[in-house]
Formats: sequence, C-alpha cells, structure tokens
Amino acid sequence: MTGDSSARIAFDDVHVGFGRGGKRVEVIDGVSFDVRPGEFVSVLGPSGCGKSTLLNVAAGFLAPDAGEVRFDGERVTRPDSRRGVVFQQYAIFPWLTVEKNIAFGLTLKRNRRSRAETQESVRRYIELMGLEGFEKSPPKQLSGGMRQRVALARAYATDPDVLLLDEPFAALDAQTREFMQELLHEASQAERRAAMLITHSVEEAIYLSHRIVVLGNRPTRVHEVVDVDVPWPRSPESRLQPEFLELRGHLEGVMRSLSGSAFRKAHP
Amino acid sequence: MTALRRTVLPFAGFAVVIAAWWLTATTGITGKEVPTPGEVFAAAWEGLREPEGLLVDIRLSVLRVLIGVAVGCALSLPVGFALAWFPTLRAMFDPIINFCRALPPIALSPLVIIYVGIGEEARLLVLVWAAFFASVVVLYEGIAAVEDIYVRAGRALGASDLELFRRVIVPATVPQMFVAVRVALGVSWATLVAAELIAAQRGLGWTIQRSASFFRTEEVYAGILLIGFCALLMDMGVRLVQARAVSWQERVVR
Ligand SMILES: Nc1ncnc2c1ncn2[C@@H]1O[C@H](COP(=O)(O)OP(=O)(O)OP(=O)(O)O)[C@@H](O)[C@H]1O
Ligand SMILES: [Mg+2]
Repeated sequence: MTGDSSARIAFDDVHVGFGRGGKRVEVIDGVSFDVRPGEFVSVLGPSGCGKSTLLNVAAGFLAPDAGEVRFDGERVTRPDSRRGVVFQQYAIFPWLTVEKNIAFGLTLKRNRRSRAETQESVRRYIELMGLEGFEKSPPKQLSGGMRQRVALARAYATDPDVLLLDEPFAALDAQTREFMQELLHEASQAERRAAMLITHSVEEAIYLSHRIVVLGNRPTRVHEVVDVDVPWPRSPESRLQPEFLELRGHLEGVMRSLSGSAFRKAHP
Repeated sequence: MTALRRTVLPFAGFAVVIAAWWLTATTGITGKEVPTPGEVFAAAWEGLREPEGLLVDIRLSVLRVLIGVAVGCALSLPVGFALAWFPTLRAMFDPIINFCRALPPIALSPLVIIYVGIGEEARLLVLVWAAFFASVVVLYEGIAAVEDIYVRAGRALGASDLELFRRVIVPATVPQMFVAVRVALGVSWATLVAAELIAAQRGLGWTIQRSASFFRTEEVYAGILLIGFCALLMDMGVRLVQARAVSWQERVVR
C-alpha cells in the first residue's frame, strides 16, 4: 500500500495478466510505487517484463485485473489529457502538419483554448523543442528525432500534470538519443511536470531522473528503487561524475543479473 | 532513372504486347483467325468517326460505370464505418457480405430482369451491387486496421468518441477510401458486359455482344480495347486525385 496522498501517480498493488484458462500469463504481479508532483521517475526493466503494460494502465488504456492506479488520488479508468503520453513509435498524425499536430489537443472540446492561446502555446513548444522552420512541414519530411520532438511538444501543449513516456528514444541512433535526452531534461527543467519514463537504458534513466524504479522479470514486481544523487540540473558532464558512474555500474549489474536469470530460466 | 521508369516503361510494355499480338496475327501460328492490331485500330477508328457510333457507346458505358461506382461507394461508406466501429455488426454481417461479393453479377441478371425489368435501372442495379460489395470490404478492413497507436494518441490528448471519429479515424482512412473507389471502378468495368446483357440499348458491352453475333471479330477486339482504355483512364484520374489528397502518406520506395 502506498500511503502518500501527495502522489501524482500512485501504483497500488497493480496486477495484470493476459489470456484466459491454460493460456493465461501473469505479467504484472503486484507493483506499487509513486510519482510525486514535479518528480521525474524512470522505470527500468528487462525486456518483455511488462513496462509498456504498466504505462498503459497508468494512461488508462488498460484496466488492471487487481489493484489500481490513482492519479491525484482518483482511480484511473480512462485516458485523460492531464496525463500526456509519448509512444515509442512516433504516434504523430501523418495527415497533419507539425503545428497542427502540436495544436491538436488544444482544439478538442475537452481543453479548447482561444485561438491566440493556442497559437501562443504552439509557438512556445515549437521553440522549446527546436522545431522552428518546420511548422508547416508534414511529418513524412521529418527525421525520427524530430518526429519525437513533435510528439513531445504535442503532449506538453495540453498542459498535462504528468508525462508518460514509453521508450520514446529507443528507435533513435545513439547520437540523436543523447541529444534528445538533453532536450527532454531541459524541457522538464523548464516545465517541472511529473514524468514517468520507461526505458531500457541505464544511462538514460540516470541522466533524466530523480528516482529509478527497477522491475524484475515477469511476472514482474518492483525489484529495487534507487534515488539518483547526481547533482541537479544535469548536463553532459554529469555523465562523467563519480555518483553517475557508480550508480551506472550498480544498475548495469542489476540489469545483467536480471536478464541473465531470465535467460537461464528460458534455456536451462 | 525513376522519371524514365515512370514515363517510358509503361509505353514500352504496351509496345511489347502489341508487337507480340501482331506477330501472332500475321504468322497465324494459332491456326485461328486473329485480326492484326492495324485492323482492330482501323475498326475502332471507323466506329468512333461514325455518327451515332462508338462514341455514344463509350459515353453510355462510362456514365453507367460512374453512376454505379458513385452510388455503390456512397452506400458502402456508412456501412463500412458502421461495420468497422461495431465488432458485433461485423461478426454478424461479414460472412454474408463475402458471400454476396463472391456471386458473379452475371448470375444475378435473370433475377434482376424478373424483379426490376429491363430498363436502365436494371443495368445500374447490377453495377451498384458489384461496386458496393467490392468497396465495402476494402473499406471496413481498412478502417478496422487504423493503427491503434493513433487512436490511443487521440484519446490521450482528450478526444471524445465523436472527435476521435472525425479527426483521427476518418482522415486516417482516406487512403483506404481511394483504394475502395479504385477497386469499385475495376469491378464495375468488369461487370459492365454482364449489366449490358440485360437488353441494353447501346454501350460498349452491348457492341461486343452484337459484333460477336455478326462474327465481326475486329469489332469485338475494338470494344474490348476501348473498355480497357476507359477503365485505365479512370483509374489514372483517381490516382491523380489520390496523389494530391493523401500526399502526406509515406510511400515505401523500392
Ligand atoms: N495485449 C496483450 N495480449 C497478450 N499478451 C500481451 C499483451 N500485451 C503484452 N503482452 C505480453 O505481456 C508481456 C509484457 O509486455 P510489455 O509490452 O508490457 O513488455 P515491455 O517490458 O514493455 O517489453 P519491451 O521491453 O519489449 O518494450 C509480454 O510477454 C507480452 O507478450
Ligand atoms: Mg515496451
């Protein structure tokens, strides 16, 4: 039971499984942790352990079989624009230009703004994400990194209280990835919104987070929670600081042993 | 290279086939009477120049196909969306739709004659039938396949059901609508001859049948060529509009 009532997102003994009868597979087996206002939390875990499933429950795309996710104290039952989502597969709408993608949420009845406010918001996030000059471009002309910046801008634009990010940079090359991490860090510095980032990358998790939740193998539970003591705000030099390196060594060891034990289980 | 590929090669393809045809006709290796391309083109030209000739047939047939496709697609659009949106409806009607789609329209014409008579409505009904069943399947499969990720993105941004439908599902389906229209056009042209079997007054299908009954082979060929030509032109027209309307679509270049 997570008792902290100040939590923005609270996972409370969440259980999820797929399939029925003999084919049933338990994926999430009682996960509890919090994301507090303004806090950046990363969720690390071996591949296939249920990270996306967990995020889908928090977003309201999927109902848990037991337990619940609370958002500002209220049980999550459906998607809501106060919880912005960014997906791994650039889910920007290909039929809309960059600026129309970013404005999309603000033109819906749920969070309609005046024209001026919408324009102001779009301009602000175009700038924050370094998309100047591409306002009228169709997504097919953009690189992967730029598409993901559009997706981030679109998620920010509706002014969500928490961002849910599902391996947003996994499909990018190493260099773009680092650049995007820095961009996201600066943006979350400027925005101070709570965020939950799903990632495979230890480096990414440390660079961006206040706290890291490590999930175990499927059926998954929280394996470990670590506070990241690397001084804030982070900069490219942070990656070389002793605290950073020490934590990286530790987490890489944990990840190795987790995927090692999964491998041994699968190939005895 | 790609420009060359797009402009020259299609004509080269026609040239190869016409050359092969010409060889077959002049050498007579099939042992059957085959008119040469020259004879067929001459017959077509003759027919086109004649007052009240092939031009009238082309106009009538094109009009029939256009009406058939327009009405067929106007019906399949709402039905396609309904079937895609409500899985229960789809489970219920998918088999019967595929059953109807598989029926050759020519087999229906006797029934059409019995119930609708032999007027223009009868011919149009056959075409509408063909266009509807061909396009509705393409449509609802396309709509049902709208990537879940766009639906989720729309919902997470705060879209209501109606907004999701209008602003995500519909635009995401536009490419599929064009495919549906093209399929309907193809099927309607294929069905034309069957439709014009119903006591037609003129039309390209009608010319083919009449020429055949007088053993004017080159006119049969001319009619067939004209049908192919009209169908091709219409398809090109739709593709032109499609290229503009869905220019956002990413094409995999091979
Ligand atoms: N809709 C579903 N139906 C059945 N099984 C599912 C479904 N969604 C996920 N699973 C299974 O649940 C497990 C966890 O999936 P999930 O995508 O959450 O893992 P993940 O940790 O995000 O993996 P990755 O690291 O590859 O992104 C997988 O074994 C997957 O096969
Ligand atoms: Mg995943």
